[in-house]
Amino acid sequence: MEDIKAYIESGILELYVLGDVTQEEKLQVEDMALKHPAIKAELDEIERSMELYAESNSVGPPAHLRDRVLNSVLTNFADDRNFDTKKGSEAPDNTVVLSAQRSYNFYKYAFAACLTLLLASSIALIALYNQLQQSNNQLAVLQTDKQHFANRVNLMDHELSVFRNPSFKFMKLKGTVRAPSAVLMVAWNPVNKKVMIDMGSMKMPVNDKDHQYQLWALVGKKPVGLGVFDMKADSTDMKEMKSIASANAFAVTLEPRGGSATPTMDQMMVIGQF
Amino acid sequence: MARQSKISLPEEELVRALRNREKIAMEALYDMYSASLFGVISRIVTETETAEDILQETFVKIWHSFSGYNPEKGRLFTWMVNIARNLAIDKLRSKDYKNQNKNQDIDNNVAIIDEQRNSVYKPELLGVKELVETLKPEQKTILDLVYFKGYTHVEAADELGVPLGTIKTRLRTAVQQLRKHFN
Repeated sequence: MEDIKAYIESGILELYVLGDVTQEEKLQVEDMALKHPAIKAELDEIERSMELYAESNSVGPPAHLRDRVLNSVLTNFADDRNFDTKKGSEAPDNTVVLSAQRSYNFYKYAFAACLTLLLASSIALIALYNQLQQSNNQLAVLQTDKQHFANRVNLMDHELSVFRNPSFKFMKLKGTVRAPSAVLMVAWNPVNKKVMIDMGSMKMPVNDKDHQYQLWALVGKKPVGLGVFDMKADSTDMKEMKSIASANAFAVTLEPRGGSATPTMDQMMVIGQF
Repeated sequence: MARQSKISLPEEELVRALRNREKIAMEALYDMYSASLFGVISRIVTETETAEDILQETFVKIWHSFSGYNPEKGRLFTWMVNIARNLAIDKLRSKDYKNQNKNQDIDNNVAIIDEQRNSVYKPELLGVKELVETLKPEQKTILDLVYFKGYTHVEAADELGVPLGTIKTRLRTAVQQLRKHFN
């Protein structure tokens, strides 16, 4: 009897129940259990305890697993009967997994949305930049135009002041035999000695590259050079020439470029006398 | 709840019906023991899908090798839980599972927690918390190592750095503590 107690207390029965014994030990325990009801009873108690321990640690498998397991058992048994699907055995426990998946998807979509937004913003930014560049260019063009018009207005103002000034004398120089149709308007102010020619109304043959027209004032019989000019089809303004205090006639001759000290008389184009 | 329609039979009846290959016996077996077995399996193999596969394999094996069960030698559950534990431990130690387990991501863990929250708590087991307090920490550690983690008592001795004799004693006192608690 002492042997049995010692055997029980060795812990071998627990290991036997836990399946942690060698084949030899297993046979020995089973042999002892057959011979000694006390050992059999002890084993039964240990088994019950472990069974209850497992039960207290139980985890319900998902509901859908029941049909899967039972059907696989029958399939293995080569039986075509199927187990009935229990009412209400639909798996409700997918919800958490699904929502986890959904939140995962949310980040995917959020990332995609951010990327799209970034791309759209970049395109918009480039378009805006181009437009800004265009506007800047237009502004520069407009500013140049404005400057041009301001200059033009100043000039016209200046010209207008010539015509408004009563001390200016105007003379129409008429063409000579060399250029019968030539005309040139000269404005001369004896008070402030200014001499101007009107390039806009001027009608003269176009001069070549090597020659220029030269304006002369005749003071008594003496010709005084008042500067050179070119005949250009597009000139519109009035050109101020050198000043002279007194003159009784004005004339224009064609001279080598840069002008001459004395006029070449046979190249006289227009002349006018007071 | 589907739990209401669970089939339950006395153990002798169940064994007799299983011997006769009655389909209802398999359903009863599943309803009575799947949660306990799944509890053990999913503590050994934490990956839910694998644990589910093992539960399936366990029932297939129970069905196939039922002729090997001898009621004289022990209780039905002891026989079944050892089938389940061996399948789970084999899986755990297989190269396949070790590789697969490396790739386990956070989604799976969420699922596991979810599964475990679905645990069946039966009214008669309301004392689980007291039970945990009944066992001393070192008793619970050794019991869970061997029962739920698939350690042999030799491996457990190695792991805990205590002599084999101590392991056996602790295991025995732990089981006795359980007996006291359940009585």
